[in-house]
Amino acid sequence: MNNINPNLNTNLFKKIKNSLLAKSKYNFCNFIFFLISISLILKILTSIFINSNWEVVTSNLNLYAFGSFPIDQQWRPTLWFFSLLSITFITVYGPKWKWLRKNLIFGWIGTVPLGIYLLSGGLGLNPVMTRHWGGLTLTILITSCSILFSLPIGILLALCRRSSIFLIQKSSSFYIDVMRAVPLISVLFFGQLLIPLFLPVGLEIDRVWRAVIAFTFFVSAYIAEDIKGGLQSIPKNQIEAAKSLGLNKYQINIYILIPQALRVALPAITNQLIGLFQNTSLMAILGLMELLGVSRSILANPEFIGQYIEVYIWLASVYWLFCTIMAFVSKKLEQKMTINKGY
Amino acid sequence: MKPILTAKNLTKSYAKGILALNKVSFTLDQGKVLVVMGPSGSGKSTLIRTINGLETFDKGELNVLGIKIRADSDERKIQKIRRRVGMVFQQFNLFPHLSILENITLAPIQVQKRNKKEAEEYGMYLLCQMGIESHAKKYPGQLSGGEQQRVAIARSLALKPELLLFDEPTSALDPERINEVLDAMRRLADQGMTMIVVTHEIKFAKEVSDQVLFIDSGKILEISSPEVFFSNASHERSRKFLNQIN
Repeated sequence: MNNINPNLNTNLFKKIKNSLLAKSKYNFCNFIFFLISISLILKILTSIFINSNWEVVTSNLNLYAFGSFPIDQQWRPTLWFFSLLSITFITVYGPKWKWLRKNLIFGWIGTVPLGIYLLSGGLGLNPVMTRHWGGLTLTILITSCSILFSLPIGILLALCRRSSIFLIQKSSSFYIDVMRAVPLISVLFFGQLLIPLFLPVGLEIDRVWRAVIAFTFFVSAYIAEDIKGGLQSIPKNQIEAAKSLGLNKYQINIYILIPQALRVALPAITNQLIGLFQNTSLMAILGLMELLGVSRSILANPEFIGQYIEVYIWLASVYWLFCTIMAFVSKKLEQKMTINKGY
Repeated sequence: MKPILTAKNLTKSYAKGILALNKVSFTLDQGKVLVVMGPSGSGKSTLIRTINGLETFDKGELNVLGIKIRADSDERKIQKIRRRVGMVFQQFNLFPHLSILENITLAPIQVQKRNKKEAEEYGMYLLCQMGIESHAKKYPGQLSGGEQQRVAIARSLALKPELLLFDEPTSALDPERINEVLDAMRRLADQGMTMIVVTHEIKFAKEVSDQVLFIDSGKILEISSPEVFFSNASHERSRKFLNQIN
């Protein structure tokens, strides 16, 4: 092993050197490319640091974080953020105690009801209407609720798709196929406009929850497909071994198939969840004040009119930061969960 | 001696009319070791896998530990058999996401509803017997083939089976590792375990078995004691087979 790496390095180095100092026409191409990239970088840097007025962001940080959440109650979403951050930190860097690792999943599940309770109030906290929820708080809430619901539904759909009962198998494949054939935005419109029509009079589901339901419908179909791939990757002899030990179908699914399938499907699922996080921005079109919605309302403010560049650069970096964190956590989880197959 | 297993005219055919099992009948008494031999594709794996219901059959009757199954028997009846019959596979088939001890205790805890501590104690006892108690916390991927196969034997013993099936347990092992597995099997036979072993290990068959069953193209050609089979096989096909592998 050790012998190969230095060779590779020198080869790579030679290649770069050769390509830089090769024949003159290549030199010319390189020079042009160099000029273009330098000028682009300079342009971007000047627009960020010199031409921009970042007051549009700095004076609205509160709005970006909490939307129009009552100021004296803003400790509640803050507390929720901290609980999320700390459980992320424990997951990635926490000690390897077995009981901790086993119960961490319940901690993660618990953050969602905790968030809902802290945001909506009741039971001793002042109730806050959902129309005051907004900004990053709302984005994260929609994402985490949708994840919480769509993961088990996705697993269930994947299992149903392999069921030996004809009706169950066909209906779940039909559902998955339909959801994958329909664009997300139409599912979201469906959630916002059509769900109220189907509900009996007097029963009303809030806009935020309608969004969560629509996202769950959509994402669970994709997650089901990822888990199906994971299930297919498990060799048949695993099922035979489990059968020969007298485990029934249900036990084989719970103890043998799902744990292995989830490990295989984890990178693909992460992909879906990052996509979900970004797609919550579509809710701005439907009138929710999440990150993009807040930005649009700020841009509509006469004081900040026309400052698109600042707002969108800021928005992109916030999304980038959170998606990077999600990818990082999933990478760490993958490392922790990898099965040593011994070859 | 009471028979633990009786097979009557077991027949199984694949789609093209090829018979995987052709009117297979035999009995096995308690505490005996039956070695199944035959060329590849002869149906010996199919035979051993029908006994715990991993393969279905078309005709005939099977009586395992007093439970009768026919071609149309349902899954529950087969599960009753599986709880009392252990099986060891060629490729070990350990569960890679569970530790060695968890591999062994999964079935006792989930199937027999034993409490966790008791199951773990018994699991450790079995691992000690197999000489691999130091690996209890490791995962299957960290063990050598021979060690994995011994874990697989311990796993099948955890349900306290009355019959053990071995489907070519040493075929996927390095030559150096074969003996550690065969020794474990020898010890089990000495303890009076009833076993059916599909194997090509002639030395093991000679020393341990009480009966040798030779099968070709799904048909039992002869069942005889190892002394007779290895020195004076009655069927020409068995003699040819023995010549080839010797």
